Amino acid sequence: MSKLVIKNVYQSYGDHAVLEDVSFVVNQGEFVSLLGPSGSGKSTLFRLIGGLSEPNDGAIYLNGEKINGTRGLISYMPQSPSLFPWRTILKNVLLNQELTGVTNVEKAHQMIERAGLKGYEHAYPHELSGGMKQRVSFIRSLLSPQSFICLDEPFSALDEFTRVEMQKWLLSIWAEYQKSILFVTHNIEEAMFLSDRIIVLSSRPATVKKEFIVPFQRPRTEDLLLMEPFLRLKKDIYYTLTKDE
Amino acid sequence: MKRMMQKGWRPLLVLILLIMAWEFSYHFFNIPDWLLPAPSSIVQEALIGWNEYAHHLLSTVQLTLIGFLIGSSVGIIVAIGLHLIPLLREAFYPLLIVSQNIPIIVSAPLLVIWFGFGMLPKVIVITLVCFFPITIATLDGFQQTSRELKHYMLMVGATKQQIFWKLEWPHALPSLFSGIKISATYSVMAAVISEWLGANEGIGVYMTLASSSFRTDRVFVSILLVVVLSLLFFTCIVYIEKRVIRWKQVEEGRVDE
Repeated sequence: MSKLVIKNVYQSYGDHAVLEDVSFVVNQGEFVSLLGPSGSGKSTLFRLIGGLSEPNDGAIYLNGEKINGTRGLISYMPQSPSLFPWRTILKNVLLNQELTGVTNVEKAHQMIERAGLKGYEHAYPHELSGGMKQRVSFIRSLLSPQSFICLDEPFSALDEFTRVEMQKWLLSIWAEYQKSILFVTHNIEEAMFLSDRIIVLSSRPATVKKEFIVPFQRPRTEDLLLMEPFLRLKKDIYYTLTKDE
Repeated sequence: MKRMMQKGWRPLLVLILLIMAWEFSYHFFNIPDWLLPAPSSIVQEALIGWNEYAHHLLSTVQLTLIGFLIGSSVGIIVAIGLHLIPLLREAFYPLLIVSQNIPIIVSAPLLVIWFGFGMLPKVIVITLVCFFPITIATLDGFQQTSRELKHYMLMVGATKQQIFWKLEWPHALPSLFSGIKISATYSVMAAVISEWLGANEGIGVYMTLASSSFRTDRVFVSILLVVVLSLLFFTCIVYIEKRVIRWKQVEEGRVDE
């Protein structure tokens, strides 16, 4: 069970309002994307959910419990892979389990194999390509004991081809684990291809502009990217994003 | 290794030429032995005199090892303390630097006045010389911890202790080793200086005796011993470093390609 509720969150630095009355919900097992222009306060929102700072006003609930300023309740995958250069892939993947106590080496081996990285268990991160590193980073967050995962533009540094491959891979893995995911991106297509719902944020101060339900059936394939309803929804979202009130 | 062999011949050649020039001018200008002995007679003295200086050498090696171990432990502990307690760092960092501005040659006699002629003042001298490069380098390593990785550790809820042992400590290890390498070379010199203060045996004693009796060849032998010891010590540290920090070594190897 893992349900995240953001309720009327305000945050500002000095006179500069960053988040203004942000509210949304991520249900158990749901894949929700936050879509917004760069600098729309997405990373601030992540800091709040991660408990690194407390909101000026409003509340964040995880499974009905208020978690303002509490760290360690979510699992996280940052924009850069953030792998530890002195740890082998296996040790990197096990990091979050080490932090909380119990390590499951067998499962880690399974996941590494599932990610197509068999044989790299004892390699160091610098020996891997960008896409491989991101896969390791994602496995690490999946193996974390927490059942709520925040992904912060994880594929933005990858080239187009690798990115689509990674998205498909992410979906296939996620389908097995059914963890709740909050995915931050500024790529409309990516958000549509991956999520159940898309929350569009306005730029500073960020507030929820509109919510879209993505109706396409899972499992999704690449063909979807060029279909009529997909393009129509994309147009819709695009206009919402660019339109100023 | 192969590349080192390929490049190593240049300094080696210069060295050989220098020694040959030395040997030549010794004979050509008829320099007296007490002023500057020929390299050949220094080598000869080094070979026959082994029995005379073996126990001095052993004593210096022992002193160096003890002093170095204590000095580097102090260095590491001070670095960790100053890093974990910012208040201490602000208070003591400037004092640390001042401590290095006092010449050992001045502080050493003071130590003898306070602690006598035993092992203790000598170990303190070596410690004073050794801890500083290690503390400074390690502190730097801690400070330069990747912000990105630290942010990650905070996001996933790592405690302060976990952040230290799993992130900051391994991150500072390469810096720690560069500090240790500097200290290792200094420690032999510091041991010899501390022996000048008053000791029964040691290369420092051997050197003092030799120079006061105008056995200049023996002075050069002791210089040779100090150099060889320092190099040996340095090589040992480099070897340990390579065993401990494997990931870095591979990384650098790749950059080279």
